[in-house]
Amino acid sequence: MASERKAKLEAAITEAIDNPKQRNALYYCMKRGRDKRTERLDTMPTGAAFRPEVKAIKEKCIANQDALLAQFTANAEARGTKVFIARDGADAIRHTLAIAEEHGYKTVSKSKSLTTEEIEINYDMTDAGLQVVETDLGELIIQLVDEKPYHLVFPSVHKMRDDVAEIFSKATGKEVPPDIDEIMRVVRSYLRPIFLNTDIGMTGANVGIAETGTIVIETNEGNARLVSSIGKCHICIVGMEKIVETVDEALMMVLAHPVSAVGQMPTTYVTWMSGRSPLGEGGENRASHIIVLDNGRTRMREDPLMKEALHCIRCGACMNICPTYGVVGGHTFGHIYPGPIGIPWTAEVHGLETAGDFAELCISCGLCKEICPAQIDMPTMISEVKRRDAVKHPPDFTTRLLMAAEPMAKLGCAGAPLSNWSLRNPAFRWLMEKATGIDRRRELPPFARKTLVKRFNARTPKKTTDTPKRRVAFFYDLYANYNAPELGLKAIEALEAQGCEVVLPPQRACGYPYIGYGALDKAQDVAIENVQHLAPYVAEGYDIVATEPTAAYCLKVSYPKILPRNPRAKQVAGRSFELFEYLMEIADDAPKPQDLAGRRFGFHCSCHQRPLGFGDGAMDWLRRRGAQVEFIESGTCCGMAGTFGLKHGPLGYDLANAVGEPLFDAFKKSGVDTIVTESSVCSIHLKEGTGLEVVHPLGLL
Amino acid sequence: MNTTTPETAIDDFARNLKAVSGHPHLVADHVAAAEAICRIIADAAPRCVAVAQIPAAILARVEAHCAEHQIEFLKEPYPAGDLPGLIDRAEIGITGAAFAIAETGTLAEVCTNDAVRIVSGLPRTHIGIVDGNQMLLQLLDAAPRIREAIQEHPKGVTLSFISGPSRTGDIEMVLTLGVHGPETMHAVVIGGGHGE
Ligand code: SF4
Ligand code: SF4
Repeated sequence: MASERKAKLEAAITEAIDNPKQRNALYYCMKRGRDKRTERLDTMPTGAAFRPEVKAIKEKCIANQDALLAQFTANAEARGTKVFIARDGADAIRHTLAIAEEHGYKTVSKSKSLTTEEIEINYDMTDAGLQVVETDLGELIIQLVDEKPYHLVFPSVHKMRDDVAEIFSKATGKEVPPDIDEIMRVVRSYLRPIFLNTDIGMTGANVGIAETGTIVIETNEGNARLVSSIGKCHICIVGMEKIVETVDEALMMVLAHPVSAVGQMPTTYVTWMSGRSPLGEGGENRASHIIVLDNGRTRMREDPLMKEALHCIRCGACMNICPTYGVVGGHTFGHIYPGPIGIPWTAEVHGLETAGDFAELCISCGLCKEICPAQIDMPTMISEVKRRDAVKHPPDFTTRLLMAAEPMAKLGCAGAPLSNWSLRNPAFRWLMEKATGIDRRRELPPFARKTLVKRFNARTPKKTTDTPKRRVAFFYDLYANYNAPELGLKAIEALEAQGCEVVLPPQRACGYPYIGYGALDKAQDVAIENVQHLAPYVAEGYDIVATEPTAAYCLKVSYPKILPRNPRAKQVAGRSFELFEYLMEIADDAPKPQDLAGRRFGFHCSCHQRPLGFGDGAMDWLRRRGAQVEFIESGTCCGMAGTFGLKHGPLGYDLANAVGEPLFDAFKKSGVDTIVTESSVCSIHLKEGTGLEVVHPLGLL
Repeated sequence: MNTTTPETAIDDFARNLKAVSGHPHLVADHVAAAEAICRIIADAAPRCVAVAQIPAAILARVEAHCAEHQIEFLKEPYPAGDLPGLIDRAEIGITGAAFAIAETGTLAEVCTNDAVRIVSGLPRTHIGIVDGNQMLLQLLDAAPRIREAIQEHPKGVTLSFISGPSRTGDIEMVLTLGVHGPETMHAVVIGGGHGE
């Protein structure tokens, strides 16, 4: 029986899937953000080179946080600003209310600040009798209906013009037509007296600068300029992690933030406040307060698996690419902080239990990490959140079964052909769905009677020259060994044809499902074992070559990350390759047979293949044989996410299909007759979703 | 790929400002700047114009233009007791900027009195004035200028980077200008080898 929490999550997913209007709005918003980012990066002389710089700055500043905070405080106070370090939300709220009470302030105009939302200060200020108004349009819209942000950059993206017109009709007591220009006029005149009569102007800050005691506030609407200049008192609530050391570092954040969010550079208004100036001549000194919020950040810094979350600059790019967020939105995928970073952040500041309510929505595609300006490894952090959460809420049977796919595959092979007959039998599949939670509609790949290892060992050994061109230890993973040994053999022959000596080292399946489903400890066990198996080969000069993109990703990216203190994991990573990347690297220049001339393929790159070179190796390889190859993508995942899409129900098959829709459409519209992909699982999903033929490039040999 | 060079800086500024819905005016000197500003005022036909920290030669000419056309003209010093209401009357706000950034079409306003910020922040139209010789090539070049401005004013100073008019995409991602502040933003760039 599904737990209550899972049932709630599943109901929310189904509701989202059934709301195409909202889904389309969100999809368009995310796509636009991604596309604009790419366009802008293309015009920048140094492209995305700021990413490692942002990461390095954040790493350094978080490591020196105590000293920087002291420096920031001293410099801000030297300019007459009062700095208060708040332990937690309650502390920050108490301090704010004390300021308001001392001076008899009545009104608060806020500009957008996620940090103030984190501590939900609006409720307490309102309870204390203050009139609190959000002045960022998106924030105002959700404040008027008492909702949480749906997206970090576009908090009200789920509200269409009709909804917004209705909201302002209610707020103003006058009929507002559903016309955007008209709504803007209404908003302008609604907010103007609020700006002019501000007692407390409350803002967040995107950056704090230690060397000068400056806060930097970015807005497109210009509302932060107004509330911070007009307010009798300015209160800035800033997360402790936002403090950098120098002006130069702050500028790097000012660049990276809007570029990553929507391809803008910079945000329309960037305000650098270093102390507070008077307003007009002869007025009194106006109060200026900075509240630096800890609220779990110091603890986070001490947590080696979570501290990277502190590098977040809140650009929202991760939620522009997250496939499942793109279907369900920030009210389901998030608590107050939505999207990918919302999982670790919520776990740290709002509690593991709350994060666990939506952590399962992460299907571990890794795309958020690829787009993040601070190169934050969210998937690994999320895996750890799931692992911690599982202590109280163990994974369900289906998930446990899918994590342990290798023993199942062994059984399947041992039982073939009976097991294959069963997999094709509708009655059996119905029973299997009930018993295991694997969706009966999925066409599962048949098991081979003889595994690749058996067939390889039974082969007449290839005569290798004394000096082979390269020596390759082949990493076959599950699929090539248990389901498609002929594919594995083709890979081996292709390598041998290029003069490689190929051996099959002892190995276990790559174990990525453990990372995806949150058994990080088990993933570490597999990683240790595989590194132990492979390192001696690397030491002897072998290269490790894998056919399955996720396996190559594990060897190259995941193992060194989850075994940070294991130098051999790095050595193995340094010599691991994806098959076609490798084949292209060692290929000679001799003309190739044009056996694929006249064929037109659509190429699908799996998410884990993106950081390994976007499948360029396979596409080049096909093109050298005369094929026409188009790279077709939706800009996000196909939805299958390893074995996630095999699961029956909203949190599996249904969500996988909803995620996949735009990609299926793109393939169907492209006019190609065949899809080529190297991922065994994506291929199942694409075949069912598009009705087109899907092949592995080796299948075209 | 866009690479700004000193030779193309001012043109790049103009192009990049236009890309964010701003209106650049490249003029040769203060007289031409004042003329450009008076043209903008004539076109908008406002009842009230406010200025803050603009070059004296321009101020005098614009003030004369406003007087001639019975346009209320607000200038420094602004008595604290009258703010912000007084400036809220202005339909056009004109401020001087300390430097500009070509790569991003940005004006950098440096002020030690927040009256300047509301002159550029409240009216429907903002006109910023900058010396073309104070044009930086890239955003990341601005660090020394920012640091210098902060150090020059140990008591308190605010820099505002302004790249176009107030914008929002909060309703259906449709770009809409002027939700709070300027709906129209002009940048008058003086000198630097250009004239309109
Ligand atoms: S790994 Fe993929 S599914 Fe998980 S949070 Fe990141 S983008 Fe979303
Ligand atoms: S985690 Fe990275 S991509 Fe996501 S909001 Fe933070 S900085 Fe942006």
